[in-house]
Amino acid sequence: MKRKLLGVIDATTYHDDLEELLTHRSLAALPFAGRYRIIDFVLSNMVNSGIRSVAIFPKMTYRSLMDHLGSGKNWDLNRKRDGLFFFPTPVVDSDLNKIGSFENFAANLDFFYRSSQEYSIITNCYTVFNMNFKPLLDWHIHSGCDITEIHHEDGTPMEMYLVKTSLLIKLIETRNETGYTCMRDVVLDPDQHHSICRYEYTGYAVMINSIQNYFSTSLNLLNSDVWKQLFIKEQPILTKVKDEPPTRYLKGSEVQNAMIANGCLINGTVENSIISRGVKIGKGAVIKNCIIMQKCVIEDNCYLDSVILDKDVKVEAGTILTGTARDPLVVRKGTKQGALMNS
Amino acid sequence: MGKKKCVAMLLAGGKGSRLNSLTKDLAKPAVPFGGKYRIIDFTLSNCANSGIDTVGVLTQYQPLLLNSYIGIGSAWDLDRKDGGVTVLPPYAETSEVKWYTGTASAIYQNLNYLKQYQPEYVLILSGDHIYKMNYESMLEYHVEKRADATISLIEVPWAEASRFGIMNTNEDLRITEFEEKPAEPKNNLASMGIYIFSWNILKEYLEMDARNTKSSHDFGKDIIPTLLEENKKLYAYPFKGYWKDVGTVKSLWEANMDLLNDECDLDLFDHDWRIYSVNPNQPPQYISPEAVVKESLINEGCTIEGEIDKSVLFQGVIVGKGSIIKESVIMPDAVIGENVIIEKAIVPDDAVIPDGTVIRSFDDEIILVTQEMLNGVHPAF
Repeated sequence: MKRKLLGVIDATTYHDDLEELLTHRSLAALPFAGRYRIIDFVLSNMVNSGIRSVAIFPKMTYRSLMDHLGSGKNWDLNRKRDGLFFFPTPVVDSDLNKIGSFENFAANLDFFYRSSQEYSIITNCYTVFNMNFKPLLDWHIHSGCDITEIHHEDGTPMEMYLVKTSLLIKLIETRNETGYTCMRDVVLDPDQHHSICRYEYTGYAVMINSIQNYFSTSLNLLNSDVWKQLFIKEQPILTKVKDEPPTRYLKGSEVQNAMIANGCLINGTVENSIISRGVKIGKGAVIKNCIIMQKCVIEDNCYLDSVILDKDVKVEAGTILTGTARDPLVVRKGTKQGALMNS
Repeated sequence: MGKKKCVAMLLAGGKGSRLNSLTKDLAKPAVPFGGKYRIIDFTLSNCANSGIDTVGVLTQYQPLLLNSYIGIGSAWDLDRKDGGVTVLPPYAETSEVKWYTGTASAIYQNLNYLKQYQPEYVLILSGDHIYKMNYESMLEYHVEKRADATISLIEVPWAEASRFGIMNTNEDLRITEFEEKPAEPKNNLASMGIYIFSWNILKEYLEMDARNTKSSHDFGKDIIPTLLEENKKLYAYPFKGYWKDVGTVKSLWEANMDLLNDECDLDLFDHDWRIYSVNPNQPPQYISPEAVVKESLINEGCTIEGEIDKSVLFQGVIVGKGSIIKESVIMPDAVIGENVIIEKAIVPDDAVIPDGTVIRSFDDEIILVTQEMLNGVHPAF
């Protein structure tokens, strides 16, 4: 596997429906499940599948993504040869949501020429799943197909493609003649001469593309069937380590059905919620059906139901914030919520 | 190799025999503590936070786990181009194998390690204690006093003073007398086993001590008394704050329970003095709808379906439905079945506690759970 498969993650995607959570970060860096960023899932899958060379193509607001991934050390990708590569795209006005845009790849064609891996897997950055790509590669080689597209068992294409690196290079080089702008164009063209196959993936997988779906997918993690499919001991989802102490539950805390990351200080009540690293929850505060991101401070006697608090939000004592399951209230990063300003 | 102002030598070869089965396969500094740490994390983090980037770790007893845990020191940001962490095991010379027979002999045998950095000062530490301390301040004090050696002292309760090495000082805190476990202590300032030596003095006296066949080659018993006899300038550095020797099952349990106490001075949540450790990279903890968690410290990777009360749980612990864990310490990856009761106990890593087990102490003794107990051999339950 080591020299066989190259990982290519397209991190250029932007979803308008997630705008409130994407003003300071790229979709790839969206916090998820208390301690992860969405890209951790696909990146860990690649590493767990034996991929040793991963190229990430980010676009705009990639500071948080770069900060998160660093040298790739947490994924064991800080290698002398191969490892983690970043190719921020210089293309400004390309169609944002085409996974594996050939125009983006073309700017870094040298990287593909230099890569010794025979095959490449091109993926999106926002799918929550835990998949081993080894069986996929074996299947692809065995099938003799030119391009394999991964489909979920429910029929949805997962925007992930497996292709010989030499063919990928050819597709990039000939993009102007063929008119193909991305992998999806190739796969959807009925007249082309490449053999296209579908590989069906039967495990849990959700593509995060709206606030509503982010919210429900997050809370779904509390369902142990989902949990067990995502967090597998042999195929761990790796992320940046933060050196937070264990979480401390103080006198008067009541916690039920919750996923809680390290470094939290919990005084109040938490139900059906996901609490990220370093969150403080005050006395008498009630947090229900919420996603609370890193380092939020919720002071005493607050009441929050169906709310997404982005990073570093401070909720002052006695504040009531509520949303609904279909339309959760999103509080932007770094803001302060007071009892009086709340409507 | 660049010149270093101060190099730390961390003695981590201790057996910790009073920790019984916990130190059967690992050295005391490697014993798990506080839900995610090992004891040595505190000393290594203190070094990193004090700006000391060159640390020799002297290992001897059961070093395998300790060696792999320390690795190249990256967890403590001690993987440096120049300096960083170096594990120093005993080694053989042409004539003989030289085990570390005492704290002083361990340092003596690594004088060559120290020489390559041409240090001005050497900080001697032990990897057996839980505390946060700024060694840089102690070094400044040592320099200011123009001392030959500075010893860090902590006030202990008068009643316990006779268990420690007690230092008597004059008004200027210059040490005038050292008494090892005095029957009638004149003072309650105990040595914490932390020393700063000026390099020339250390080298001279270690070499002298090595030639002395009657010496036990120990800092407390041999080097310090000799320095005092020869009227060298030894100063006391009074330390205030949390410091605990977790040498027994009971003190290890107590130190863990201290973390659940609001009055405790040891703050793990202080971002300006983080305690670093090798992170296990596990998912967040999951607290089920049936679970009850009260006044506890719980690490990532745990799955809790029972009741946890005043306890410390390390990473990856699973607690089944109907189980009650009270005033206990559960070490990494232990699996507690259903309807188990555990009170005032330490459960070691990877232990599997079958459904319905009751582990409970009837006096104030802290139970250290062992495999023999679980096999039903032990009469405790």
